[in-house]
Amino acid sequence: MASRGGGTPAASGASGPAELQLPQGPRGLSPPPPPPPRNYADHNAPRRRRNYPPHTAPRPLPALARVSREEAGGGNRWAVTGPAMADRRPRARPGLRRSGHNARAVAQTGSSVENKSKSVRSTLAKQGLGVFPDLRNGTPRLMLKRVMQNQPQVSPLAPQISNHEDTKEAHSEVPSQRVSSMGELQLPDVAPEDTSTTVFNMKKKRRKFSISEFERAAESRLPQYQAQSALDSTVMTRSLRMSVGSLLAPDTVEKRGLLRRPKTRRAVDMQAFEGRVEQNLLKSKGQNDLVDSQSASVIRTSMLTSDAEMMMNSTELFVQPLLDEESQNKLSALEPQLSDSKTSAQRSPISDADQEEARLEGLVSSVSTNQERTQRYSKSTGLDDEHVDRMSHVSPETPAKQGEEKQDHSQQSNPVAKISVTEEEVVCSVYRWNSSLPSKSSSTHLGSPVTLNVSRMHLRQVVSHIIEDLEVSDTEEEMINTENGVEQKKIFQEAAERGASAGHSEHLEKKLAEKAELQITAGHASRGETEVAPSAGKEVEEGSTGAHSSPRAEHEITRGIGAESLGRPSHAFSSFEKPEVTPVDEIDEQGDELQDQAMMLNLDSSVGEPAEDEAEQPESQEVSMKTPTFVRAPPHKLLLSAKPAKASAPSSPLKLLQPKTVPKRLRTSQKKPREPQVPRSLIKAIFRHFAKMPVTRDAFQIVEKCSERYFKQLSDDLEAYSHHAGRKTVEAADLEVLMRRQGLVTDKMPLRVLIERHLPLEYRRLLIPVAVSGNKVIPSK
Amino acid sequence: MKRTAPRSTLRKIIKKHKPQLRLAANADLLVHLSFLLFLHRLAEEARTNAFENKSKIIKPEHTISAAKVILKKSRG
Repeated sequence: MASRGGGTPAASGASGPAELQLPQGPRGLSPPPPPPPRNYADHNAPRRRRNYPPHTAPRPLPALARVSREEAGGGNRWAVTGPAMADRRPRARPGLRRSGHNARAVAQTGSSVENKSKSVRSTLAKQGLGVFPDLRNGTPRLMLKRVMQNQPQVSPLAPQISNHEDTKEAHSEVPSQRVSSMGELQLPDVAPEDTSTTVFNMKKKRRKFSISEFERAAESRLPQYQAQSALDSTVMTRSLRMSVGSLLAPDTVEKRGLLRRPKTRRAVDMQAFEGRVEQNLLKSKGQNDLVDSQSASVIRTSMLTSDAEMMMNSTELFVQPLLDEESQNKLSALEPQLSDSKTSAQRSPISDADQEEARLEGLVSSVSTNQERTQRYSKSTGLDDEHVDRMSHVSPETPAKQGEEKQDHSQQSNPVAKISVTEEEVVCSVYRWNSSLPSKSSSTHLGSPVTLNVSRMHLRQVVSHIIEDLEVSDTEEEMINTENGVEQKKIFQEAAERGASAGHSEHLEKKLAEKAELQITAGHASRGETEVAPSAGKEVEEGSTGAHSSPRAEHEITRGIGAESLGRPSHAFSSFEKPEVTPVDEIDEQGDELQDQAMMLNLDSSVGEPAEDEAEQPESQEVSMKTPTFVRAPPHKLLLSAKPAKASAPSSPLKLLQPKTVPKRLRTSQKKPREPQVPRSLIKAIFRHFAKMPVTRDAFQIVEKCSERYFKQLSDDLEAYSHHAGRKTVEAADLEVLMRRQGLVTDKMPLRVLIERHLPLEYRRLLIPVAVSGNKVIPSK
Repeated sequence: MKRTAPRSTLRKIIKKHKPQLRLAANADLLVHLSFLLFLHRLAEEARTNAFENKSKIIKPEHTISAAKVILKKSRG
């Protein structure tokens, strides 16, 4: 574009488009005087702008000339010349930009428009620069251009960029300034596209300048930056920048500037982060420790009263609190597998079981999982197996978490009736239960084995009695017995309560101890349990029927004990009886009592337990007795001790007997009339939808209460309104009045709008009359 | 997940409180609407309380204080 050269272009331009030298391949006119080649490298060197002063016409003229020429050439030419132009012309950045702008603007308008402009410009050029200058310099864009041109050199990067830009601008100045802008991009695309991109480039370039300035300042400090800038200076980078779109270039420039800081920060962050992580871990551990310590403390209290064995066992408990859960879970999973091995294992660890039972006895009071146990027993007779598993696997497992899990699993598992196993399990489980609440079933199991171990004559005697009473000896029965045993124990407990005599309790405890011993001596732990269980079951029945005789209680207790050697202190039992002498005719009540008793037992045992064995026995009895009752009355205290659980183990015969009676009572007792309540799930869903935030469970409770209160208020208000209107029926109008008074319906917010907003279509259709064709209104009034 | 309004339950509740009172045909829908708006207000208030406490979860104390205000407002 020789035309570009300084003012001459104007003249040449004026010569006419025909004279356009557009197609000149070697556009590469040496950088005409106008714009000195942009040497960003020498940016310190005085930059010479084009000859033309910022406001002078020559600038525009040459551009115009070129443009006109190029325009004449046509859009294609621009495209062609653009890149060529871009390569060559170093121009003042501002100049380039401006020209680029102009070019782009023109290009954007379209070739046709450009053509027109060309003609216009050409004519203008011909006429004189007067007009053009206005266009060029008068418009805001031109002003900006001038400003840009006059801007001081920017940072090193800028020069590089500016070089690009300059070249591009130079190209743009060429008639296909727009093209040159395109050329800047080095994308011989369609004019309009280029212009758009170039326009974008222009914007970016401006940014670059500003950034470049900053970077310049920083450059001195940052070698990196310089290095980067050096990189940038490469033609490739420049081209890339331009080609890829100025979009990226400025970003990269900016990013480079920002990259330095984060590096230092990160180091610190990591450390802080790690520190925080450690803290979290410590906190979690601390919590776990607390939990364990709590369970351990419970165990300890019980342990203290118990024998030395208990003490020893207690230590084990503490050691493996966590293991219990896991082991329990695993055990439950492995129950079927272990069942076989268990039996053998059980026998061997009987001694261990005894010890455990001893511990458990002490702990039983603390364990209050009677309810759970009873439930579980009722569910399946597999508890025994589970217990066996537990025994074999984790003797000192702390029941806390195991119990619940185990029981669930155990219940589900196939109940291979191995009473002996169950007994052992009970022992273990009792042990565990003591440490943790949930393991009811285990406690029951433990009861029996524990009694076996405990050398309590009185218990043995009781056991013997029980054995005599017991008749069922089948494996099935055994299983049932285990369950019944639990029930029996419960019954025993109940009976004990009814007896309301400490002496009885003690006596019963003795019997239980005897039973336990008998069981042990019998050598057929399972049978013993079964025997105990049926007897206990019988006793339970008696007790359930309302037998308050202490002898019965004793019987039951003994049976229960036989089934489960709950050696827990007679204290527990006596105390157990005392507080809950309330006669319970219905099983539910009994269940509750048992539960209460269990509570008491637990409490007492925790307080002080004279005789482990005794305690265990009554506990077991209670457990057995309680299991069925608990089943009937589920919502009762879940804190009951493990005693009931123990009892449940050997109450297989009980189970046989009880199911017959329990269902009757369940039906009759459970007919409590339900209060109409808005379903909780609905309230939860609505509240959560409106709150848009997580809500705690306790908060939901409060919301429910609030809603109840609200309905109460609502009904009062509605009654008042309808009464005021002399009606006995609440109408929609009353509702509207209510909502208006509540402030929900206002003059600005009619009821209809609220209906439409919150109610689904079906209801809306019912509430809001809609007119349809045929002079019809829905709903019809 | 929208659910249908427990129309019969609402009727029973009102009947329980005021046995002698009757309800018009679709009045229970409006009762349900008022209940929805009540919960809406309660939730908003509880949310505001939680924000004030810089908590991201609505806790019972937030709900209680919200309930005091909203129940009073909804007395009509």
